[in-house]
Amino acid sequence: MWNSTRRLLLAVALAGASAGFAQDTAISSDAVQINLPPNSPLTIRGVTMGNSRATARGAALSLDLHMAVTLENKSNNRIHGVMLRVVAQEVVLGGKGSVAYPSLNVGPGEILPVRIDMQLMRPSQVANGPLVQVDLDGVLFQDLTFFGPNRLNSQRTLTACEMEARRDREHFKRVLAQNGRNGLQAEILQSMNRQAESAQLAVTVKRGRATTGAASSEHAAEFAFLKFPDSPVEPLKGSAQISGNEARSPRIEVLNRSNKPVKYVEMGWIVSDAAGRQYMAGSLPSADNDVLLPPSRAGQLLQETTLSFSVKGQPVSVQRMMGFVSQVEFADGKIWVPNRENLENAVLLKVLPPSPEEQRLTDFYRTRGMDALIAELNKF
Amino acid sequence: MRHPDETKLALHSSGDLGWFAGWRTERHLARCARCRDEVAGFREMRETLPALAELPDVQWNRLAAEMRANIRLGLAAGECVGDAAEDVPSPLFGKARAVLAFASIFTLVVTGLVLERPAPSGSAAREPIAMAVDNGIEMRAGNQGFGLMHAGARNVINTVSAAGTLGARYVDPQSGYVTMTKVYVE
Repeated sequence: MWNSTRRLLLAVALAGASAGFAQDTAISSDAVQINLPPNSPLTIRGVTMGNSRATARGAALSLDLHMAVTLENKSNNRIHGVMLRVVAQEVVLGGKGSVAYPSLNVGPGEILPVRIDMQLMRPSQVANGPLVQVDLDGVLFQDLTFFGPNRLNSQRTLTACEMEARRDREHFKRVLAQNGRNGLQAEILQSMNRQAESAQLAVTVKRGRATTGAASSEHAAEFAFLKFPDSPVEPLKGSAQISGNEARSPRIEVLNRSNKPVKYVEMGWIVSDAAGRQYMAGSLPSADNDVLLPPSRAGQLLQETTLSFSVKGQPVSVQRMMGFVSQVEFADGKIWVPNRENLENAVLLKVLPPSPEEQRLTDFYRTRGMDALIAELNKF
Repeated sequence: MRHPDETKLALHSSGDLGWFAGWRTERHLARCARCRDEVAGFREMRETLPALAELPDVQWNRLAAEMRANIRLGLAAGECVGDAAEDVPSPLFGKARAVLAFASIFTLVVTGLVLERPAPSGSAAREPIAMAVDNGIEMRAGNQGFGLMHAGARNVINTVSAAGTLGARYVDPQSGYVTMTKVYVE
């Protein structure tokens, strides 16, 4: 009897202790503030919070938010891209993100259901207020006109995605016209195989110089370049400081070969490990404050960032680096992206991820089949 | 010499001990003058109690009956424990085990607190860092974090910009839309 009583006491004590540590409460839609400009082409039709929970964990509060927002296109134009800015209120040192939906085709009066799933960890003693603020940052229309505050450069991002989407839809339509249904199917299957086989690097990003690397072994490594004949910008030389699996402070000098001023350049960045395996490491854009690069003038892309590379938990020692021009924005807002012929390069085919549209179309084929894919291509 | 406790002596003075306990106490009293004095004191007190019972406002008789019943109950419980202790002699059965049990609970509570509470981080851990995690991307600085998740998505492509952003690109399994999430290290 005494033993069973003691067991009961122990169970009660443990249950009480665990209840004290993890108090779980639902989060209502009041915790999220969604801001659309007064003349926004999108209006909110509904917001649900699903199974959003706040859990106390010691001195911190863990928030698990699952928002489903239904937006309606109130404009007279078809919407091809939307970007939302997501800010976690009161989270020190940032807490800023974005959720973008490229490759859309939402007609006037049509509905756009979007989901935002977030996790926040913050001190529990922070004052009350909306936990999350969601702002409309930009809307791109079919005719490439744009609406929005553009605080996150969503116009450039969505326009570049749209240019790639048009390029890739044209490519698949051309394959369908030239090689028929079987030819298109073979092309889609090849794309799916490439996506499955490409090895992804796990990359961590820090601003400034890393604190963990062995400074003594750091050395400057030069970029090799893959040049496209039709690129308006030509990379001249570049380097980054390499230490083991870390690369920091990449810088590349580029020349504007076009006859128009350029205000933004983005370079693709490929790294090779000791075994010669190549990985897409990331991109090196010009600074946030756009630098106007007149025709025939050179300028420098420079970022004070440290990237650390690993694969399946194992550090990848960087041996060689390669760069290529992946995006150029002219002063008039027009954007250049590499064409399909440029991307047929053997190196890029292995490492470059598909565009958002190619990703969507291959998923469309996987989930709905060839007839649905052909119908989808014909909608544009 | 081990002496019976006061309760036992009081019950013995009123003839309320069980036959075995009474026999043992009687044996002890035969050779212990101090306990005999104690028992005599209890008997004197018992003789004064009937007079107190005559007071009209205090129901001494009922109280005494209740106390007697409680004492009997306590003794019965005590004998159960005593028998068990005699069957399985163990030096850890008493206070030591209780202390051990509560020490274990305390250890569990402290361990839980340490595990549940975000670890105090040094200056390096407070430096914002963006990384891909299971089912999402996150920016973390000290005990604060911000993550955009994509549970259930297949073929997620992570994108990195040296400008200090980490992104994830996937086809939302519910809507079929390509979704691009990004966290900013600032």
